[in-house]
Amino acid sequence: MRGWHLLAASAFCSLTVATTALAKDKPVPAPDWAAEAAKTPTPASAKDSAAVILFDEYLITIDEQNHAVERERFAVRILKPQGRGHAHCSIGYDVDEKLNYFRSWTITADGHQLQAMEGDFTDHGAYSAPVLLFTERIRTVNPPAADPGAVVVCETEAHLRPYMFEENWEIQSTVPVVSEALEIDLPPGGHFAQSWDKYPAVKPVETGANHLRWEIKDMPALDLENIHDAPAWRALAARMAVKWGDAAVNGTENQWRAIGLWQAQLEEHRPDPTPEITAKALELTAGAPDLYTKLSRITDYIQKNVRYFIVASGIGGWQAHYAGDIYRNRYGDCKDKTTLLISMLQAIGVRAYYLHVDSRRGIIDPDAPSLAGNHMITAIELPEGENDPRLMARVKASNGKTLLIFDPTDEETPVGLIRAALQGAYGNISDGPDSRVLEMPVLSPESAGLTRTGSFTLTADGALAGDVTEVFSGDDATAERWFIKGNDSKTVHERLEQGLGADLPGLAFKGFEFHQEADLDKPLDLDLHLSAANYAHVAGPLLLLRPRVLGSHARVVSDVMEGKPRKYPIEMGHPGRWRDSFDITLPSGYVVDETPDPVSVDVDFASYHSTVTAKDNRLHYERDYEVRRVEIPANEAAAFRRLQVAILNDEKGTAVLKKQ
Amino acid sequence: MAKVHFMRIAKSAFIFPVLLVSLALPCKLHAQFQAPTDEELKMTADPKAPGAAAVFLNVEEVTDDPLHYHSYYARIKVLTEKGKELASVELPYTHGEFKITDIKARTIHPDGTIIPLQGKLEDLLAFKNGDKQINRRVFNLPSVEVGSILEFRFELRYDDNHFSSPSWEIQRPYFVHKAHYAFTPFKAFMPGLQNATSTYLTDEHGNPVHSLIWWKILPPDVQVKTDVAGHFSVDLTDIPASPDEQWMPPIESVLYKVLFYYKSVSNATEFWTSEAKRWSKDVDHFAEPSKPIHEAVATIVAPGDSDLDKAKKLYKAVQALDNTDFSRRRSQAELKQMGLNAAKRAEDTWSQKSGSREDIALLYLAMLRAAGLTAYAMKVVDRAHGVFDPSYMYIGQLNDTIVIASIGGKDVVLDPGEKMCPFQAVSWRHSGAGGIRQAAPGPAPANSPLLPYTANQLTRTGNITLDSKGAASGQFQFVMTGQEALSWRQAELRNDPDEVKKRFDNWLRTIVPDGMEAHLDHFLGMDDPDVNLLAMVKVQGTLGTATSKRLLLPGFFFETKGSHPFVNEDKRMEPVDMHYADEVTDQVIYHLPADLAMEGAPQDTNIPWKGHAILATKTVPATGQITIARQMVRGFTFAKPEEYQDLRGFYQKVAGADQQQLVLAAASSAGKGN
Repeated sequence: MRGWHLLAASAFCSLTVATTALAKDKPVPAPDWAAEAAKTPTPASAKDSAAVILFDEYLITIDEQNHAVERERFAVRILKPQGRGHAHCSIGYDVDEKLNYFRSWTITADGHQLQAMEGDFTDHGAYSAPVLLFTERIRTVNPPAADPGAVVVCETEAHLRPYMFEENWEIQSTVPVVSEALEIDLPPGGHFAQSWDKYPAVKPVETGANHLRWEIKDMPALDLENIHDAPAWRALAARMAVKWGDAAVNGTENQWRAIGLWQAQLEEHRPDPTPEITAKALELTAGAPDLYTKLSRITDYIQKNVRYFIVASGIGGWQAHYAGDIYRNRYGDCKDKTTLLISMLQAIGVRAYYLHVDSRRGIIDPDAPSLAGNHMITAIELPEGENDPRLMARVKASNGKTLLIFDPTDEETPVGLIRAALQGAYGNISDGPDSRVLEMPVLSPESAGLTRTGSFTLTADGALAGDVTEVFSGDDATAERWFIKGNDSKTVHERLEQGLGADLPGLAFKGFEFHQEADLDKPLDLDLHLSAANYAHVAGPLLLLRPRVLGSHARVVSDVMEGKPRKYPIEMGHPGRWRDSFDITLPSGYVVDETPDPVSVDVDFASYHSTVTAKDNRLHYERDYEVRRVEIPANEAAAFRRLQVAILNDEKGTAVLKKQ
Repeated sequence: MAKVHFMRIAKSAFIFPVLLVSLALPCKLHAQFQAPTDEELKMTADPKAPGAAAVFLNVEEVTDDPLHYHSYYARIKVLTEKGKELASVELPYTHGEFKITDIKARTIHPDGTIIPLQGKLEDLLAFKNGDKQINRRVFNLPSVEVGSILEFRFELRYDDNHFSSPSWEIQRPYFVHKAHYAFTPFKAFMPGLQNATSTYLTDEHGNPVHSLIWWKILPPDVQVKTDVAGHFSVDLTDIPASPDEQWMPPIESVLYKVLFYYKSVSNATEFWTSEAKRWSKDVDHFAEPSKPIHEAVATIVAPGDSDLDKAKKLYKAVQALDNTDFSRRRSQAELKQMGLNAAKRAEDTWSQKSGSREDIALLYLAMLRAAGLTAYAMKVVDRAHGVFDPSYMYIGQLNDTIVIASIGGKDVVLDPGEKMCPFQAVSWRHSGAGGIRQAAPGPAPANSPLLPYTANQLTRTGNITLDSKGAASGQFQFVMTGQEALSWRQAELRNDPDEVKKRFDNWLRTIVPDGMEAHLDHFLGMDDPDVNLLAMVKVQGTLGTATSKRLLLPGFFFETKGSHPFVNEDKRMEPVDMHYADEVTDQVIYHLPADLAMEGAPQDTNIPWKGHAILATKTVPATGQITIARQMVRGFTFAKPEEYQDLRGFYQKVAGADQQQLVLAAASSAGKGN
């Protein structure tokens, strides 16, 4: 079910489970609201959908202590066999969220009612990965008679976390919604604030004293199933955040500030350095010639020595552990790593701040303040005049501070850089009264890429042999380093072999060596030694070969390539520059009869140039691909297609050798 | 992470609520933490496990059933960053039946510094449904770095009125230097006490339990040892990491393990004889051709029908029922509210017009018998999940039921529980599958036949019209029989036609050349499993590349993205299991523009792997068109490791042949080269 919780991805932990009402004995009839909802006709707009949500209503009742209870009533009609999944209502709960009840009925196409009984409900841990030690649980119903034509209704009520004063109403789904509503019931004198994202603000109706209702009809589906390289679903989906208590302040800037202050209060004193932390920070930075080196030594220490492991329960989902504990245990989650970094930097006199972000660009919208976001990183204050060009991921805040953005949880991106998903995204910096939303920088193409050089010899039977050197930088080096780190050498070998084998059928992979894997501030080098039988093919008197020996920049964005109208932006990956240079020594007795034409495309967001030249007995291929943006709007799809067609044609390009 | 697998309680079903004499024996000494050697501390790589992220230095599992505990101990050397994942330890267990106790763990740095595990250990819910609850204890060893030694131990305890035999899952994803396993069985199964025990211990059928059995997959030189006191042990050194090879048999069928179980029989022959009899009796009871079944059959077949016609008509009737393994299983609560019951007899399935694959297979058996045919049930392993081993005395190895009918004096194998499976065919998961079958002399172990390649065919024929720049359009007809057709038909049971079309288009994208689009226009025969499944496909786009003199096209339209198995895997440890044999035939006619003619083409090829597979290609030029045909017959399903180099050599040749190109040049000059 949608929208049960704000911050599903950063919803953290629970320990004990309150008693919940499950049907154990005799089934009872579905409530009137459910029977009414089930009568809703399927709208024409849902004809291609697997299911349609007929009704979805939340009621949040807030008491004088600003503690909230949320009830949801939900009805969905299954339209196709694969739509059954939409009827598996679920709710997350944890130590601080008492689940009062969870009931479900199915009303079949012929009007028969069946109630889900105790055995139809399952509880499971919200996260099963061993590095995620959460106590949060999810209860899910497997509704009876959930067949096409049936309407499944669910009703739940739960106490929300007592320390949270915001709820995100996710008003869009992957299927259409006929009718949905949010009601809040405020205590006397209570007030609220709202922010709308990807949807025009709806005016609430005051249906009673301190009781407001927002209502939306006929919300279209947001279905990205066959939309390739789109932003994250949640970055495009309509939602509304409603706040109460101290969080309910007016104005966008004030709301961001309130969020930052709340965060600051949670983390107060958490980063205070212990003597051990101070000693370690001073030891690491002793003799460092400049700020970059100091930062690099500390961040490198945390990246290499603090394992990612979440131990969180209740408020622990939002609040970091104390820096001293993190330092002693050498493990922690993103908040913990940021806390330890702030602590160590504080020990050497550098100020740093919590920066609440999402690991997917676009989820945090500067115009829609909310706690939406699933990740914590660090903003490091740079002294005035600090212009070290290695510190690229910097941004000037509106209060004049220059901040270097750094993610200590990303163990393979060195200080000075940030990975693609953060570039151009927003975060909320927690800086007391100066707390605000912040746009993170998009780095220059020179910040990342791959330079590949190869030298090969071709024999008359079509076999190719040679050596390749690859130099990865920025995000490309990060990706490779993550892969090396996450796998044993056998898997690394196999992955390389498979990748090469896709370009070189008949590959005999002779070996590889990585260099500078651990030196994050240096490029990652890879030497490859290989040969491939059947690389060139005889066709009558001709020998055909592809000068672009290795590597591909062609993208599978089939909807764009097939010329379908594009509604959503296209993710470009990350800015960077990728260069290939290959020399192929040709077999004696053959001359070059034809080479592919040069390719040159220059669009606003990228450029691609390649040439093939023949001189003496050598064929030389060279290309240069540059990406300048992380994302392009839908109206640039045609330019994207033109670029991709050029790349594809270049990569398929064949040189023709003729026997003398 | 280090995942500890506990004994398979449900599978072994050895949790008997029996009254046992209180055993006030002193606890045995468990593995204590041990001081690392200098060599272990300094180790940065392991020559016995080149490239390994970590290795287990020691593993020890000790089960003492009289004292109701299993103890576990592990010592791990972290060699790379990835190896650090073993610092997170997850211990799943059945809540209410077991407890995890005495968790002790520590990290030892390469300099010998010891950091003990401290603090509260979480006990998290993993899964709960009704009374079934699985929890997990999770802990994370502190201060782990590359070079650390991780050491932990814990105990799994259970109540006095339970007993539990161990399952030693010996082979794991990491190399193990030294492993010790020991088992002290329930006291009554130690020498001299069997008779006393068997009077009150019973198995799930109520038979007295009097034997302790074990099943093993072990290296040839390793044995399960027993001592005079009735203790069992296995000691191993240098256990390789679990294999991970493409087209392997199900992994559980190859990993080293020893499974102990208490039984009411003492050898496999006796076990399978008695289990087969019991199973056969149950089958005959469920599938009794009762009056309602006779009445139902009478409405389906005519008295004058041949046995073959009767079998076909009845097959069609049961295939038409709601097969809940392909639609939706009904919970007990749903059945109750619908006024239905779980089927106990074949007529229940027929009257409810709905049943599981098992129920429907047995209903078909009942109907065949009611129609006067001789028919038997066969219970087989699902080959997607396992390999039947009769030396393992566990009937739960066998998953599904197929039917063998005697028609015209021949045994015909049928798979009525497999929705959309054609008459006289079976799913590959039930072919070449071991199990037990009914027969005239009585039930006995048997194997179902393997599918011949002729049963699984895909033929793609089409016409493509080219212009001189490489723009191409055309259409194909895909004809599918056997497993390919079954797979698409079953996809449409779980999804609507639009969704299946979408998936078919997605598959097409993976096989057509870059620059070409392919879309399914429509299927024919989707609803009738007894006819070929046809897919009509339209293609268009840019095929190949144009140069100033030539147009270069892929020689084999559907193979430009072909990724052939085994080509890059030079060594093989495990057998090859490719699920089923098949035949793929392509014939593409290129219609050329007037100004282009063939200058070079894929060479006619005949690449055999004698007795196993063959690739044949042929190019036939004609005026204004070129026909290129390719046929790949893979007649084998399994291959032994010793056959691997021949198999790989075959696929390497195929991969090379498939990359050939078709060269078109200006009609005036093309002929010069040929």
